[in-house]
Amino acid sequence: MTYEHLRLEHHGPVGWLFNNRPEQLNAMNASMREEFADAWIELDRDPAVRVIVHTGEGRAFQTGVDVTEIATDGVGMQRYRQSVEDFDLHFTAWHQHVSKPVITAVNGICCGGGFHWVADADIVIAASDATFFDPHVSIGQVVALEAIGLIRKMPVEAVMRMALVGRYERMTAARAYELGMISQIVDPPERLREEAQALGETVARNSPAAMAATKRALWGALETGLTDACRAGAQELVSLWGHPDQDEGPRAFAERRAPRWVDPTSDRA
Amino acid sequence: MTGDYTRLRVERHGPVGWLIFDRPDVGNALDAVMFDELERAWRELDDDPTVRVIINTGEGGAFQTGLDLAQLADDPDALRTHARRTRDAELCLTAWHLDVTKPVVAAVNGTCAGGGLHFVADADIVIAASDATFVDPHVSVGQVTAFEGIALVRRSPMESILRMALVGRYERMTAARAYQLGLISQVVDPPERLRAEAQALAETVARTSPAAMAATHRALWGALETGLTDASRRGAHELMSLWGHPDQDEGPRAFAEQRAPRWATTSGTP
Repeated sequence: MTYEHLRLEHHGPVGWLFNNRPEQLNAMNASMREEFADAWIELDRDPAVRVIVHTGEGRAFQTGVDVTEIATDGVGMQRYRQSVEDFDLHFTAWHQHVSKPVITAVNGICCGGGFHWVADADIVIAASDATFFDPHVSIGQVVALEAIGLIRKMPVEAVMRMALVGRYERMTAARAYELGMISQIVDPPERLREEAQALGETVARNSPAAMAATKRALWGALETGLTDACRAGAQELVSLWGHPDQDEGPRAFAERRAPRWVDPTSDRA
Repeated sequence: MTGDYTRLRVERHGPVGWLIFDRPDVGNALDAVMFDELERAWRELDDDPTVRVIINTGEGGAFQTGLDLAQLADDPDALRTHARRTRDAELCLTAWHLDVTKPVVAAVNGTCAGGGLHFVADADIVIAASDATFVDPHVSVGQVTAFEGIALVRRSPMESILRMALVGRYERMTAARAYQLGLISQVVDPPERLRAEAQALAETVARTSPAAMAATHRALWGALETGLTDASRRGAHELMSLWGHPDQDEGPRAFAEQRAPRWATTSGTP
């Protein structure tokens, strides 16, 4: 599969997904939106990929929908009406039910719709000069989906403030770290990709089957009440009973060697 | 019934009941006997009218490190019981599992790993020694994280919990970071002062109305079960449950008279 607005790379067990419209600050036009749907599925199905890192080229990570295209192509947001009304979206890993761990590495400006990929990632790290803001209401647009995801993952007040102050204020990477929106600041910023690769390789040492079930259990916790979430989580726990990884892990630990996990793609078959 | 525990220590100091994991040689790991003793100890402290607040901590260098798989492998009956309770989400390890009505303070004295996170996730208040660490090695040994992480993502920023769950044994969260994230509310330094600070905190909590605390406890934990509007409706019932209770008049009267309130005595199981 070839992409015009994204770039996919492989480095060891880590699959990389780059937003690649640096001249437009990686804004998402209609064709980039379609490419995302394919790219997530391609990386999730690729047996050589254990962990996915998502970052941007240039000085922005992501700046949301391409407003220039909206304003000039004569179709505008109407193009997206049906998919939004039906909540039938396909541009993030969460939308695409990606089973592998996803690390978002925020390399610069993250604004507006860019928060989709912060809200929907498992792990988020950022360059020390990255900034976060949500200009939707400043240009007459509603904030909904990204912020709905974020207020379940971090303190609500900070998200509401960003949504309502709009373009007139930016959150720093340092504040995002304090709030637990991200778990690591990379300084100097040039080291971001190197640190993301190292983190990806660390995560890739864990059991793919156990991580996939853990992801389902923890993301599932955002769907229901605590007791129901525990009941659903119990099914994820039990799903690994009898799986070879569950015996291999403790055995490798006892024998002080690296575990040999079942290939997740043969698992899927 | 205090005293006949072999894996725990149950103590009372003033209005505070202490539940102490006491297998320091094995990181206080949970074996079959500790399963049974935990269930008994939580109920004993919850039913004891002299206990107002419960502190949960550990002996030695670890707070709690989860299942003792080696021991459980030799005890098929216990393993079967635990497997059934896991499958049915009917564990009986923590105060939340057992519907304890009194405030529970977890005082994390060292390593808290894997299943040890149950006791952080299910406590009301969590404090930690400055050298305590938090780590979830499940996926590094081919196991799934579920219950602990599910409860933790509701009480602290989720990204940090997902990171802990997916990075596994290769990274530890410090007490300082846990404090920043609001996973804990107090870091005790030097670490040796942990029990003294926990006792002081618990005595402070013990000054409040037991009946009001129990209803507050139900209202706030209930908020994790439903959407906001439904939780507020249920919370309204908890508010009204204290109308006409003597504590509701005694509190303002003692405040006006500038004296300590005399709360109605309650046992844990009304």
